[in-house]
Parts: sequence; structure tokens; C-alpha cells
Amino acid sequence: MAVCTGCSLLCEDIEVALKTGAIEKAKNLCRKGQGHFQALFSDRTVPSVEGGETSLDQAIEKAANILMNAKDPLLYGWSNSSLEAQKVGIELAKKLEAKIDDTSSFCQGQLLERVLKGELPSCTLDDVRNFADVSVFWGADPSNSHPRHLSRFSYYPRGSKRQKGYEEERNCVVIDVRKSSTAKLCSDYFRIPPGGDAEFAEAIIAILDGKMPRFGDKKRMIGLASIFKKADFGAIFPGLGLVYSLVQKMEIFENLVARLNDVSNYKVVPMVGHYNMRGFNELMLDETGYINQISFKNGVHHGSENSVTMAAKSSDACLVVGSDPLSALPFVIARSLAKSQLVVIDPRRSLTTDAAKVVIPSAMSGLESGGKAVRMDGVRISFEPIFESNLLSDEEILTRIMEAI
Amino acid sequence: MGIDLRIITFRDIFQYEAGKKSRFSPEFQNLSAQIIMDKDDMVQLGLKDGQNVCLENEMSKIVVKAIQTDDEPHPGLAFMTNSPWSNQLVKDNINDRIIPDFKAILVQASASNESVTNLAELLERLRH
Repeated sequence: MAVCTGCSLLCEDIEVALKTGAIEKAKNLCRKGQGHFQALFSDRTVPSVEGGETSLDQAIEKAANILMNAKDPLLYGWSNSSLEAQKVGIELAKKLEAKIDDTSSFCQGQLLERVLKGELPSCTLDDVRNFADVSVFWGADPSNSHPRHLSRFSYYPRGSKRQKGYEEERNCVVIDVRKSSTAKLCSDYFRIPPGGDAEFAEAIIAILDGKMPRFGDKKRMIGLASIFKKADFGAIFPGLGLVYSLVQKMEIFENLVARLNDVSNYKVVPMVGHYNMRGFNELMLDETGYINQISFKNGVHHGSENSVTMAAKSSDACLVVGSDPLSALPFVIARSLAKSQLVVIDPRRSLTTDAAKVVIPSAMSGLESGGKAVRMDGVRISFEPIFESNLLSDEEILTRIMEAI
Repeated sequence: MGIDLRIITFRDIFQYEAGKKSRFSPEFQNLSAQIIMDKDDMVQLGLKDGQNVCLENEMSKIVVKAIQTDDEPHPGLAFMTNSPWSNQLVKDNINDRIIPDFKAILVQASASNESVTNLAELLERLRH
């Protein structure tokens, strides 16, 4: 059995057989996982400096040189690396007195920080499978983002206290601005206007307080509040739709969760995307008291100025590990990164590697190198490499850069 | 004549899979350089399913394929996968919000005879 590092579900029941350059047979891989495994065979990077192919040693030496001489370096990525590599990355940031940030800054960071600090109640996905009778996907579409979420944990499986599964014992509620693939599968779909998440949450709170809702179809809203109240164990899975909508009003969501826990038992498990984003956030919290956006210049400083979206414009050098910010970030920010002294550690070619001054190829984490990672619900998962490779892991490359510095 | 649209980005497993295999493949471009539009909005622009539409705001201009949705009506709202194409149009004036408006991209849309903006062109824009 292998672990799939294609998303933060870290499915541990994968069986694959390879033939030359392709997957011959696979069991339990979702489409996303299939793409992740297929990535082994295309667009692999080679060591390069200024666009010219070079040796691994020279690429590492040049990377160390750039980072050492930078006045304001930014170390970014991390969500697709093992805990072991992340630890070395944080040490490197301390040594360089650099800024360090990960994808959570513009992803699930706001919610995850509350979960990690105990401000939002949470549980494991195994708890969800065994006990939950209501699952709420809010601004989330697991059928596209985490394809096996519904089948392994939240809707279809038989759990120890949920032997009758979705047919009789589980409600699945989707709240979204569009009828997503998940909305088409689930028992209750509520369409809200863009940015209407706060009003929707306030309407549910109002009903729980015995008032009439001022939002949506009153009958349906009251029916939903009734489902929420009758639940033995409810799990809310917020996606980016909710996070982006409530970006400066997250207390409304906290209020709703608190109110739901007055009448029943509700937990929150943010729909973390990358396989080890939560791992990085946990390490950073232990190290600094914050989950992301840190500068180690003259101590530990936290703030939005250290987030990739802001620091990309001010930093003169950037180390990107296992991420493609030139694809994922707004063009103007991506262009700032492209014009900086960009060093990339990545197993595969991307827009970011194409713009980099230095590219260092790495083993694909979870496929060609082993380690540990933290699943979206906080469960630690170990994985072994499943394919032989001569490539260095992120951890080994970062260690060599540290040594060179 | 154009119309105002609010674009909301979303995740699509087919586009994701194509991007995992290769960011530089025609498949990834085809599944990224498209916008899912409301039927009435397309009629207003004189567009048929699969025809090209120009999306423009103060950040950039791109041409993508318009795909007619069979979903419930959503006039004024359109959907694109998160990709280098949608990111051309996302504002960077984030200030203290940190999170860019990936799900609130305001554009002017109009029918276009130009070809779909390709990845090579986007890479060129990144370099200059």
C-alpha cells in the first residue's frame, strides 16, 4: 500500500503497478491522484542556472550564493514538502534572517490558525466517518478538490455509529454560489449570492435564537436550522469560497459554530488543499507562535508584510520550494517574483521554474522520497518512497544549501 | 458592445489533472482558457457556445472561449478555473486583506475575433 500525496487526504490505500514510463494498473487512485502519479513521467526538471543546464552541485552553489547575498530574501512554498524538509526550511530562514511564508496565506490560513489555537472545535476525519450524521460543505467542492472525501469519510461510508450511511443516517449540506459537482450529489443544496456567506450564517444564528431569518427562503432556512439542531454530530468543511467571502469577518463563522455547539455537537475541518500545508503551519506555530508570514530579521516578526502576496514585491531574492506561484498568484505579483533572483526547488517544470535563475530538481515527495506529513484533520501520516530515484529530496537539497551558506 | 461580469474562480478536477501532467500542454490551456457563462449573457454578447470572448479590466486583457452553462441562471456571474489566465485579471491592491480577490474579478466582456491568449504570450508578459 502506498500513500498518495496528491492532496491533504493523504489516502493510504493506494496500489500501483508500473510499466516503463507509465502506470500499468492502479487501485483506489482518484483522478487527482492519477494526475499526481502520472506527473512522474513528464516535464521533469534538470539542474539549471540562468536557463542553461548545469550540474546539481553548481546549481546548489549558485542558489546558496544568491540567498546569502540577498538583502531581503523570501522563502516560500512548503505545502508540498515533508515535515522533515519543512523543518530544515525554517532553520534556513532563521539562518538567513529571511521572510518565510506558505500557501496558507491566501488559502485556509485564517481558519486553520483558529483550529490550531483551539479557537474552533475540530475532529479527525475518522471521527466524521464513525459518528457524523450531518456534513456541511460550505464554499467547498470536494468532488473536484478532494475526490475521495465523501466516499472515505463524510457521506457514503459506513462508520461504527453510522452503519446505514448516506441512505438513511447522513445528511450532506452544500452551501455554494453555484451548483457544484458535490451539490449535485448531496441531500441539501443552498445557493447563495457571491459574498452572501455572512448573511447566511447570521440567518441560521437568528433561527437558532428563535427569530425569523432575513435571508433566503424562510421555510428552507428554518428546515436547515432544524437539520442542524437535530444532529448528533455535525462536521463543517469550509472551503475557499467561505474563507474568501468572510476574509475580514471570520468572527461571524466563529459565532455560528459556537451557537451550533449550544444546541448540538459541531466540529470544523478546513478543506486544506496541499498535502502538507497543515504540517508547515503546525511547525511554524510551535516555532514562532504564528502559522505563517514570519520574518526572522532581528528576532521573530509576524505580519502581512511577510506574506508572499506582499513580500514578493519587496524581496530581492526568493526561494520557492515545491510550488508554482507564477501560475497561482495574480499576474502583477507573479511578475514581481519573476523579476527577482528566483531559486526554485521542484521536481517538475512549471511557469515558475521557467522564470527562475536557478532550478534544482528534487525527488517527488511521497513518490520518490519518504517522510511524514499532517493530514487536513491533524493526523500524522508517514510515507515511504514507492519509486526508485537518484534525485535528492527537498530535505537533502535544503540541507546542502544550508551547509553551503 | 460589452457587458460587466463578475468572475468567480473554482477548482475543476479535469483541469487540475491536465496541469499536473503538464502546465504546457494544449489540454491544460484548453481547460484553463475558458469561461463558463450564463445563457442570457451569451445571447446579449451574440456569442455561441465555444466562441471567443475578450475579458478586460484595469489589470489586463485576455481572450478565452465562452462555454454556455446548463446550470441554473446566473446573469452577470461567470466562472473560470484558477489558472494563469484568470490570474491575469486579479487585482493586486490587496493591502491588509492579504488574500487577492480570486473570487471577485470584475471585467468587461465582449465578443472577440482574436485567437485565445496562449501560454507563451502569458509567459512573455511575465518577463516584461
